[in-house]
Amino acid sequence: MPKKWIINLRSFWWQIAILVVLFILPFIVSSFYVYVLALIFVTALLAMSLNLVLGYGGVYQFHHAVFYGVGAYAVALMLTKTSLPAWIGFIAGPIVAAIVGLLIGWLCVRLTRLYFGMLQIALGSLVWAIVFRWYNFTGGDNGICGIPLPSLLSSLNGAYYFILIILLICLIVMYLIVNSPFGSTLQATRDNPGRCAAVGVNVRRHQLIGIIIATFFAGVAGVLFVVLERSVFPDLLFWVLSLEILIMCLLGGWFTFMGPVLGAAITVALRTFVGIYTEYWTLILGVMLMLLIFFLPQGLVGYLQEKFRRRIKVSTKRT
Amino acid sequence: MKDKAMLKSIVLVVVMLVTVLALIPSCAAPPPLGRPIKVGIVDTYSGGPTSYTNDVRDAFKLAIDEANKKGILGTTIEFTTRDDKFKPDLALSGAKELVMSEKVDILMGTINSASALAVSDYAKTEKIPFIDTFAKDETITGKLGHRYVFSVTENTAMAGKAIGAYLAKQPYVKYWIAGDDYAYGHAIADASWRNLTSLKPAVQLLGQSWWKVGEPDLTPYITAMLAAKPDAAIIATGAADCVPFLKAAKATGFNEKVPFFMHTATEQGTIAPLGLDAPEGVWGTSNYHFYYPDTAENKAFVKAFQDAYNRFPGAGALYGYIAANFIAKAVEKAGTMDTEKFIDALEGLKVDSPVGEVEMRAYDHQAILPIFMGVTKKVPEYNFLIATNIVTIPGKDLMPTIDEIKAARGVK
Amino acid sequence: MHFLPDIGLATLGIQLLVGLSRAMILFIVSAGMSLILGVLRIPNVAHGSLYMIGAFLAFSVASFFGGSTGFWLALILAPLAVALISLIAERGIFCHLYEREHLMLLLFTFSLMLVFGDLVKLTWGGAFRSVTVPSIFSGSLPVFGLPVPRYNLFLLVIGPIIAIGLWLLMSKTRIGKISRAAAVDREMVGAVGINVSWVFAIAFVIGCYLAGLGGALVAPTVNIALGMDHTIIIEAFLIVIIGGLGNMWGALCGALIFGVTQSFGVLLWPQFAIVFPYAAVIIVLLLRPSGLLKSVW
Repeated sequence: MPKKWIINLRSFWWQIAILVVLFILPFIVSSFYVYVLALIFVTALLAMSLNLVLGYGGVYQFHHAVFYGVGAYAVALMLTKTSLPAWIGFIAGPIVAAIVGLLIGWLCVRLTRLYFGMLQIALGSLVWAIVFRWYNFTGGDNGICGIPLPSLLSSLNGAYYFILIILLICLIVMYLIVNSPFGSTLQATRDNPGRCAAVGVNVRRHQLIGIIIATFFAGVAGVLFVVLERSVFPDLLFWVLSLEILIMCLLGGWFTFMGPVLGAAITVALRTFVGIYTEYWTLILGVMLMLLIFFLPQGLVGYLQEKFRRRIKVSTKRT
Repeated sequence: MKDKAMLKSIVLVVVMLVTVLALIPSCAAPPPLGRPIKVGIVDTYSGGPTSYTNDVRDAFKLAIDEANKKGILGTTIEFTTRDDKFKPDLALSGAKELVMSEKVDILMGTINSASALAVSDYAKTEKIPFIDTFAKDETITGKLGHRYVFSVTENTAMAGKAIGAYLAKQPYVKYWIAGDDYAYGHAIADASWRNLTSLKPAVQLLGQSWWKVGEPDLTPYITAMLAAKPDAAIIATGAADCVPFLKAAKATGFNEKVPFFMHTATEQGTIAPLGLDAPEGVWGTSNYHFYYPDTAENKAFVKAFQDAYNRFPGAGALYGYIAANFIAKAVEKAGTMDTEKFIDALEGLKVDSPVGEVEMRAYDHQAILPIFMGVTKKVPEYNFLIATNIVTIPGKDLMPTIDEIKAARGVK
Repeated sequence: MHFLPDIGLATLGIQLLVGLSRAMILFIVSAGMSLILGVLRIPNVAHGSLYMIGAFLAFSVASFFGGSTGFWLALILAPLAVALISLIAERGIFCHLYEREHLMLLLFTFSLMLVFGDLVKLTWGGAFRSVTVPSIFSGSLPVFGLPVPRYNLFLLVIGPIIAIGLWLLMSKTRIGKISRAAAVDREMVGAVGINVSWVFAIAFVIGCYLAGLGGALVAPTVNIALGMDHTIIIEAFLIVIIGGLGNMWGALCGALIFGVTQSFGVLLWPQFAIVFPYAAVIIVLLLRPSGLLKSVW
């Protein structure tokens, strides 16, 4: 009989416990940790959105950051240049991101694998270049800062709760999507596109829909970024960030649902806390990643899964 | 399998978060008085701007070491730095970390005008004083100025007035404007052009070229400019590109074909890295030269800086020095490190400096500094170029009037 | 939008020459990347870092020896040093990773880029570095009545020389032919009894040598600073893609397109000059997704 887990996290009570901890956190730790945690939430949502197409769809989404940045800039521009109420901006962000995702995705999806990724890098770089150089509209290299937010969200704690709630809602929706018939078909197209096509599944259309969903959530992450930082910068669309998100999925393990969250948490925590002690945190991050890729190609969670699997086998043998 | 995976992921996430939070002790409420005054400097310590920002930090350190010997209200001033790599997003996160985690009393920085604006906005929300040490965009103390931001460097409004007045006396009519496509570049170009056209309406703008900050290859932009054949050019480069532009100008022979004006061209931080390869005949403005004016205070300052750091001080050293003196004097005058009282004490405060007495104007929190205008030239004494034919313009002649500031801020 | 009042043929000619000289540097770096991508199947994101290291090393050598001799020595020594670094990296790390997926290799080289970036900062510090143009190349020559910097003309001459040298290497020498064979079918090469591992090492080292050479050549014209790696790598990557993976002449075509469109972009719409090459790349990719010329994949 398999060993009984000491903590069965599917248990209702444990999930409540974690949620309670997260909700009362602002009252027990200093504002700096609240800020870092909120940043982790935003990055986690971004990484999860990439994993929807990367891990579950097998799509080489190499420039995912573009959709994140587009969502952030859309809401930033709406809040600073128009006098529309904030919630319209919040909804517009993900929608604009999804539209851009549809356009770029439609152009790329006729290619496969590496060529898909490379065309997306080219298209994404074009969008970045336009945002980066259109000084009069997007603020160019300066970005936009001091974005006005509704008073409920303008405090750090207010932003923290908003981000936490939206993250939880998005995670639940993503879980439902992944476990839906669409999700299963998407994973099938990842594993064996030829067979799917033979059975009559339109592989390209599934991939495109997956991309639209993923870019929508990336746009949501972009909106949450604006809520937290109240500013946007062209670096949000830069290819280096895209590769960093890929690494987060890899770190955490892209065949698991919550893996990217772990990857995001590690990356943000490293960057913040190592950055306090040394200005060479990029070096440390790079070395850690190299070690991880070298020794743990399935990611951190995948590696631990392997270890637990072996333990189960051992305990089964005993009984 | 999926359930186990989710389970493990969640365990790991929680464990990781708890570990991270446990690593560094949770900070309590702000400590009471009697502890050191903490200053957090966010600035660019990578790339081109370092030739300026190292001066700021080193002179600041020199000055507070001096002040700490006597003590300020029985305590000392400490500082810590963060590198923003000339990017506004890193400057903002650096400032947030300094305020929330390091609990600094005062923020200082940064050389990038866009970063300074972002940090200034953050300082306003957090109600922490922010002293701008090098960013020259006039909106920092002008249109976007507020109670919590101060500037110890001249700004584009002042420089623009000086440049416009100087160029109006020159015989050139057809101009080209080129520079870095960001807050500072546009600000200095607009200010210069605005003042020039008001004094000499006959000037024509043939065209403009704007390149991205940190553009590695300026040659195609320079050749395009040469092809347009302007009489003169205004070069609006910031900390990242002043040096590369001068280098490219010399390499392409631009400085021999087209006379040009570049704000801060004569500053030590711009001219020294190029050594004897720097172009001659470039007009520039600067807040400070270590060789001019030849006063006792300047000499003493230069000697102290040289003894400590084995190099000549540039304008950044002036800014760091007066920032330290302003902080020390204001804290002593206020008798406390309470932010509001500190700000009240700082308004209108006067300190001594190597360029004479400097006042922090109360209304807009802008330090009143003189500007020195000159032309680059090789001299036998040094293995870098210096400014010659120096003209001193006192600060009060250049400052925007209080009414102009009010109009810019939209205040009655 | 600002159009020059009268864009004469002379101006176009000048911008074309400047663009072509820039394209030469891009070609040298991209050819190296294309070689590595073709033979080893590694998308080497750290290629840009090696370019940057080449430039910084050129600075160190040039300032150590001083004067014009310093420059020529830098041109010889810096790429060799970069080749040495790459050999160590290949034998020590990369040769164990050939079996992994492309995505893993890409991310691994990305981490290497992060590491190299900070190592450069540690070694040379954060400030700008400057290499002087050797005296024979300083100043400009009048072409069509407008000045063109002499160093750019030098690049225009050296680029084709290197291209021809590379072509001779790849098609006439034994190692070149073996590398090309390994690019197409590595198993066959191994079956014939050639040590494929060493073929890979040599191809990798040559590719990285080219990156270092590009860096050393570009050093006098640009400001040598951190961040050079980020800009060049995306450009090289796109050039290799539109040229056809692993195809050296493709890299030349791609580099020409990239350099010239950027140069004309500066003339026509300086603010969005950077957009022109990307737009050109996208047009090529939409029309011919596998690249202009034949790719080896």
